[in-house]
Amino acid sequence: MKEFSFNHLSFSFTTGEPVLTDLTASFAPRAVHLLTGPSGSGKSTILKLIAGLLPKYGGQITAGNLTVPEGSRSGMLFQDPVMQFALDTPRHELEFTLENCQVPRGQMKGQIATALSFARVTPLADRKITTLSGGQQQRVALAAVVAMKPTILLLDEPFANVDSANRQLILNQLAQLNRKNKTTIIITDHECFGYQELHPQVWQLRDHHLHALTPKEGNELLRHADQQEAAPIRVTMPSKDEQAIVDFTDLTIRQGDSVLLTPTNLHLVKNKTTLLTGANGVGKSTLLKALARLLPYDGQINFQGTDIQKISPGKYFRDVGLIFQHANDQFLNVTVGEELALSRQHGHNPFFTRARLQQALSDLQLNGREDQVVYSLSGGQKKKLQLLLMLMMGQQLLLLDEPFTGLDSQSLATILQLIRESRQVLPLTIVVVSHQLSGIEDFVDYHLVMQNQQLSYQRN
Amino acid sequence: MNPSLKLFLILFISLEITFTSKLWANIIIILVALALLAVHHFSWRQFCWLIAIPFLPAMALFITISFFSPDRDWFYGWVLVSRIYGYVSLGTLFTATTSQLALARSLEQNCHLPSKYAYGVLAAFNLVPRIRQSINTIYMAARMRGVTLHWWSPTLYFKAILAAIQWSDQLAQAMESHGFVEGQVRSFATVITISKKDWLLLGGIILAVQFLVIALP
Amino acid sequence: MAKHQLHLRDIILLALIGIVFGVVYFAAGFVYNGLTVLLSPIGYGPMANDITIGIWCMAGPLAGFLFRLPGSAFLGEFLGATVEMFLGDQWGAATLISGFVQGIGTELGFTVTFYKIYNWLTIVMTTVMTTLVTFAWDWFKNGYSHFSGQMIIILLIVRFISVFIFSGILVKLIANLLQRAHVIKG
Repeated sequence: MKEFSFNHLSFSFTTGEPVLTDLTASFAPRAVHLLTGPSGSGKSTILKLIAGLLPKYGGQITAGNLTVPEGSRSGMLFQDPVMQFALDTPRHELEFTLENCQVPRGQMKGQIATALSFARVTPLADRKITTLSGGQQQRVALAAVVAMKPTILLLDEPFANVDSANRQLILNQLAQLNRKNKTTIIITDHECFGYQELHPQVWQLRDHHLHALTPKEGNELLRHADQQEAAPIRVTMPSKDEQAIVDFTDLTIRQGDSVLLTPTNLHLVKNKTTLLTGANGVGKSTLLKALARLLPYDGQINFQGTDIQKISPGKYFRDVGLIFQHANDQFLNVTVGEELALSRQHGHNPFFTRARLQQALSDLQLNGREDQVVYSLSGGQKKKLQLLLMLMMGQQLLLLDEPFTGLDSQSLATILQLIRESRQVLPLTIVVVSHQLSGIEDFVDYHLVMQNQQLSYQRN
Repeated sequence: MNPSLKLFLILFISLEITFTSKLWANIIIILVALALLAVHHFSWRQFCWLIAIPFLPAMALFITISFFSPDRDWFYGWVLVSRIYGYVSLGTLFTATTSQLALARSLEQNCHLPSKYAYGVLAAFNLVPRIRQSINTIYMAARMRGVTLHWWSPTLYFKAILAAIQWSDQLAQAMESHGFVEGQVRSFATVITISKKDWLLLGGIILAVQFLVIALP
Repeated sequence: MAKHQLHLRDIILLALIGIVFGVVYFAAGFVYNGLTVLLSPIGYGPMANDITIGIWCMAGPLAGFLFRLPGSAFLGEFLGATVEMFLGDQWGAATLISGFVQGIGTELGFTVTFYKIYNWLTIVMTTVMTTLVTFAWDWFKNGYSHFSGQMIIILLIVRFISVFIFSGILVKLIANLLQRAHVIKG
């Protein structure tokens, strides 16, 4: 059996800069491969090229080529769990999948039962997919692709919305699939913990190039990742006499049928930075969205002593802002210049004088891009612009949902410095959800951890 | 009854009552539809909705025709009211007794509708909660920037369509990675047939409706 | 990119746009009811229908501008109606027929510009065609034939203005934004 090999391949989307340049790599069949690298580096482009989804769905191969072994059948799991189903229930989705593969009707029932039980979703077979958690949805997706009996399984950041129990379950099943069926498995992930059992070939995507690590280097990286996950950040507990800006009273959050947060009483300290961490899928984003009145909850949330449901939206969002995880959600206009103009018009942060704004733009390397369409910026540029736009608004409380994704350490330092300077002019309370902890240790005052449906301050 | 035939029948009757003005035929059609809904365990609440929703437009037409039109035609006013309730009860009967999947499968197998239409539309339905959420997010994101959006704001639709474009891309790729290929032959998990009984029922009901329309005022 | 037919991705997008408009219509439904209550006592109750019709016809022209393919305006409107029927729209089968009729009207507007012109002229043509075709349908469906001549003319003018504002100006503004964001080719 031949390999999946990229030969000096360059790929770019029609609008922007090249995603991959002169990529050469061979993926050995029957092995497990782990592709790591910062987000936006082109990992999913590699998977979609192998799956044949690119360039069919956009972009073009500008040089070189890709060879795929004859007779290989690929199945793919995507990053956004809910965006991969055509039908309403797991059973219907599996029927749809097998119909596509022209499996005769007589064999369907057995194959569906096998696939459902492999992914441990038999009890969920007739539930509505939209009511399942991210982890459960990803298991259903696994059942669907396994039913197709693929020779190569591609997983594109599959655990981004998956809790740790489901992550472990899926990793175990993947190991089994690779051992018993000799399925080639390629996973992209920007976090590398929990992979040691799979003994993957580790690849790093840096500067448009893919580097294969030696087994020793790979093991080192995976072991390091496992340890880092447990490393705590140095913080203290908030003391009683500090002023609260937000109070939770019996706050309870549900998603579908599962409880994310059991009744919680807690407060957030005014004009400080509180870091919120927890495993994937535990409900950190959901908590921020509840605070921003984007999702329903039970119990009460008070902002400066008033129930937030009793504050008019116009008034509430003058005081509270959310930096969305997906930067595109933040933008309202078309070009960078229009976005800046909007924040200048409605913003009331006195820090941002015309001169300081110009300085900030050039520090963030966003100057001279006024006419560029915001949606065509790179991931990191979008994040920087998004933060700047919301800082200009001058809210008292900013909720930051993964604001540092795709930022290099230089940009991160610049943005943190900007926030510090702005804070000296206009005090600001920050709640930040971030996977990335390196570089922000000094920025954080308090640390909230969400686990086992509970929320608690850390101390060390 | 076969979903495709049922859809055809509902559309046929709806069209027929549009181009005829027979009060009693309309009333009998409504009563039969309501009776069938009752058999299908339609709840009282749902019945109330069914009556409440078209009430205003029906009354508006009735008042205009009966009091303000040149011939003050009360009979025609009642015809229009019954026609509106006819549409609504027939439509509700169809949606309450037919699952989207059954209709899609029937249209694919019995009417040879290309599968990309049948399953493309079904896939979009899964995103209804997501779309509601997303529209809410757009309103709130605007508030955070000091902008109040309304349902007539171009920005609202612009943002929603940008999201929809991204989702359609993701969904189409996901369906393809579940083996879907446009125009390729598919097997069927559930074979949907049109039985002789279906045809007889269709013919019988259409004949009965003609009888009602011709015989009654 | 030369495209001659709609692919799976386009069909999903058309249905999604139908849902987007469906969700927004639902919120705008009170406008219709409010107008009906206000206008009925003076004998112009049906005018609520003509005032708001432009709102229900937005998906079609938008799809026409988005895809620039024969049939896309019709499908946009018709798929939108199909989606609404299952979203729990109580008008049921009538929605489907209305969607069919509105779709044909809008499509004709693009047909008379030979699917080559996509500017304000196209907007005027789709407005004229949508107004005429939907008015003809209401002539039968809602008994417009029984109204006085004066009222018929007023309703026709009101309908034209409504379609022009919502399915014309608003759709063009949305299309302009999409064009500037390079989603539609310029």
